[in-house]
Amino acid sequence: MSRRVVITGMGTVNPLAHDVEGTWRALLECKSGISKTELFDASTFPSTFSAQVKDFDLSRHVDNAERHATAGRHCGFAIAAAVQAWKQAGLADCDRLDAERLGLYLGSGEGSLDFDNFTSLLVDAWSENQVDTREWAELALDRMDLWREIEQDSNMVVAHLAAEFGVRGPAFNVLTACAASTQAMGEAAMQIRYGDAEVIITGGAHSMIHPYGVTGFNRLTALSTRNDEIESSSRPFDLTRDGFVLGEGASVLILEDYDFAVARGADIFAEIIGFGSSADAFRITDQDPAGDGAADSMRAALEDAGLEPADIDYVSAHGTGTQQNDQVETKAIKQVFGDLAYKVPVSSAKSMLGHLIAAAGATELITCVLALRDQVLPPTTNYHTPDPVCDLDYVPNEPRQAKLDIVMSNSFGFGGQNDTLIITHPS
Amino acid sequence: MADRRVAITGLGVVTAAGVGVEPFRQALMEGRSRVREIDLFDASSFPCRIAGQIDDFSARKFVPKNYRKSVKVMARDIEIAVAAADAAIRDAGITTQGIDPDNTDIESDRLGCNIAAGLISTDLDELGMAINTAVAEGRFDMKLWGQTGINNLTPLWLLKYLPNMLSCHVTIIHGAKGPSNCITCGDASGHMAVGESARAIGRGVADVVFAGGAESKLNCMGMMRQTLLNRLCANRNDDPAAACRPFDADHAGTVIGEGGGLLILEDFDRARGRGARIYAEVVGFGGSCDPDGMDVTRPSAGGLDVAARKAMADAGVEPGDIDLIVAHGTGVPGEDAAEARAWADAMGDELEATPATSLTGMLGAMFAGTGGVELSTAALAIDEQVVPPTVNFSACAEGGELSLSAEPRRADISHVLTGAFSVGGQSAACVLRRVEES
Repeated sequence: MSRRVVITGMGTVNPLAHDVEGTWRALLECKSGISKTELFDASTFPSTFSAQVKDFDLSRHVDNAERHATAGRHCGFAIAAAVQAWKQAGLADCDRLDAERLGLYLGSGEGSLDFDNFTSLLVDAWSENQVDTREWAELALDRMDLWREIEQDSNMVVAHLAAEFGVRGPAFNVLTACAASTQAMGEAAMQIRYGDAEVIITGGAHSMIHPYGVTGFNRLTALSTRNDEIESSSRPFDLTRDGFVLGEGASVLILEDYDFAVARGADIFAEIIGFGSSADAFRITDQDPAGDGAADSMRAALEDAGLEPADIDYVSAHGTGTQQNDQVETKAIKQVFGDLAYKVPVSSAKSMLGHLIAAAGATELITCVLALRDQVLPPTTNYHTPDPVCDLDYVPNEPRQAKLDIVMSNSFGFGGQNDTLIITHPS
Repeated sequence: MADRRVAITGLGVVTAAGVGVEPFRQALMEGRSRVREIDLFDASSFPCRIAGQIDDFSARKFVPKNYRKSVKVMARDIEIAVAAADAAIRDAGITTQGIDPDNTDIESDRLGCNIAAGLISTDLDELGMAINTAVAEGRFDMKLWGQTGINNLTPLWLLKYLPNMLSCHVTIIHGAKGPSNCITCGDASGHMAVGESARAIGRGVADVVFAGGAESKLNCMGMMRQTLLNRLCANRNDDPAAACRPFDADHAGTVIGEGGGLLILEDFDRARGRGARIYAEVVGFGGSCDPDGMDVTRPSAGGLDVAARKAMADAGVEPGDIDLIVAHGTGVPGEDAAEARAWADAMGDELEATPATSLTGMLGAMFAGTGGVELSTAALAIDEQVVPPTVNFSACAEGGELSLSAEPRRADISHVLTGAFSVGGQSAACVLRRVEES
């Protein structure tokens, strides 16, 4: 019998709140984290709004914020979220934790480019319809800052958290696009099951609310452009959905070997009992329209957990609000659940949080843990016009009491990498 | 390692020495540096102007005909991974959808993919072309960019640069619908990908996995960042072949090498059952990290001693069982010193008697691509029963005790320990074991 894996701490910084309970309250009050983009002048972009983290100040979360002075925006979020999770887990006072048995497994995104310097170089070194690399190098080596550059490497968030908590165990970062933090949590759970570590700090962080991030997604026509109805722009599963809303944030969970957690008297919030990973292997631009890849991921998680679809009481959907995702995910749920698909409630917290990209899955798993705790389903807001091809129970517009024992959370990445987690009560 | 055993049945290596396992095997045994002057672009204002460059390379030759158009949306890192995957799966003798769609002999949902990637640099000419349509009075204008400028960028622009696209293209070409990941921990990523994939096969969620990584920092952004980190060798532009000298007393920095390596990991019984050639077995994995790695100005081996000890414990072997160390050896003096200390800590008294080797002097530093190449080196050393030479090594730098040689050495090699570490402080190590003929 392999080791059991439990969640003993959680933390988050997201567009709704800078802590777990505040986030949960906002979700149950159907608040929207979406507003006009203020991080840069997006007024002429096809999408002028986003789900931004507001008024973030790392020094309110840590005593030694200056130690992390070089951290990029998403890295600051991650440090704050991790400190919350660490405190909740009570690990600061745990003297039986061997640093070599403490790991990190994050799904963190890249840091944002030094936009002004980077872009002005493309203008200043532009010559005869190409970059004069000779001139570019001269200017770049003079203008670019070591730390701004290095903090863009996606493993630097791991480095900051390792410093904060004295980690000497396995330390990974993965970046499977929008599935990254779900993948990270799943792989971290596998490491604990295997015995690589007793405790792993896991989750994800990302901010793509910068000119090139919005450019990239706007060019892919993936974002909502409902500029005149900003607050209700994120409409997962609704017929009028027109794309996802770009968000940012970080969520961190403490995963722990069950026996270790029990021995130290830790509070256990949930147990991870199933993980599935798959690939669509279809196209880089489109999901497999039949939903096979997404279904494979859910089936793999069920198999890992030794469960049947009938055991699942709730599905926290990837539910981005793009025409394609919501249609494909609905099909995939039907493939896996058969007739039961119409009975199992499915909702998308992205209707309120926006899409936190690499950080989405971890943030959504936290909502699953709280749903289990409070026996209540977070709703899909902005759901008003049913789509004939998306005909499941999406928990529209208001939270709902429900008897929940086992819940499933999906994340699907651009390019076709899919991940699913299944969690249950601590009991 | 647990449960099912894991065999390495295919190697796909793409480096400055060429594409495929045979050119790599020859290069490895010959031990001649492929580092030379950069001519991929005008690098003349960079302090270091030499690299391990892959010449005349395009992924077009390594994809099915109906996929050639997609090469246009591949950053060079992706092209390297795609070519490495093609070489590796052919070397393994497994017929995927990408090799022959009518005769596949692997179930798609049992075929996984775990390809590590770095921070992929955007093509400056492509982006610059669009950016320069949004310039007013000599300066970039955000309003103009949002209004019209962005339309001058190809719609799929973002997809060229997502790190998971190395894996995604390979999954699409080969129909790999099993577990799929993309690790982004710099130079340690490739070992992590192989370790994690071996575990996935071990616990039974996949039968065959493409595992390793690829990266090219041979572009303006990559060169600029490595220059700012002060990691590149700037004083041997006139003697490129001798420039990068891992662990050598005259080491003076690393050089960039483009490249990647993918291993085909396979359930041991499946491999045996189909009579596959087995290069080696993956028997141990360990990861670690240096909590001080955040300060990238202070060289660190990322806790490699801990990773190496964990990998040996996982394999159930002692330092005395290790017959070869495939070291990382960046050639950056502080990093070499930290790494040498890590191997000494992990190996204890056995270090001196254990032959070691490093590839960086020959091929340059391949970052996320390096682990797959180092593991391929370990597999080939077992296959050849030869310790590959360490190009440019003549005498150990002060404090280093690794047993290196610029000449190939015959040896009895059963267990190989290999490990790497990233800028930022993560490390990973693997143990490979020779498999007796059945």
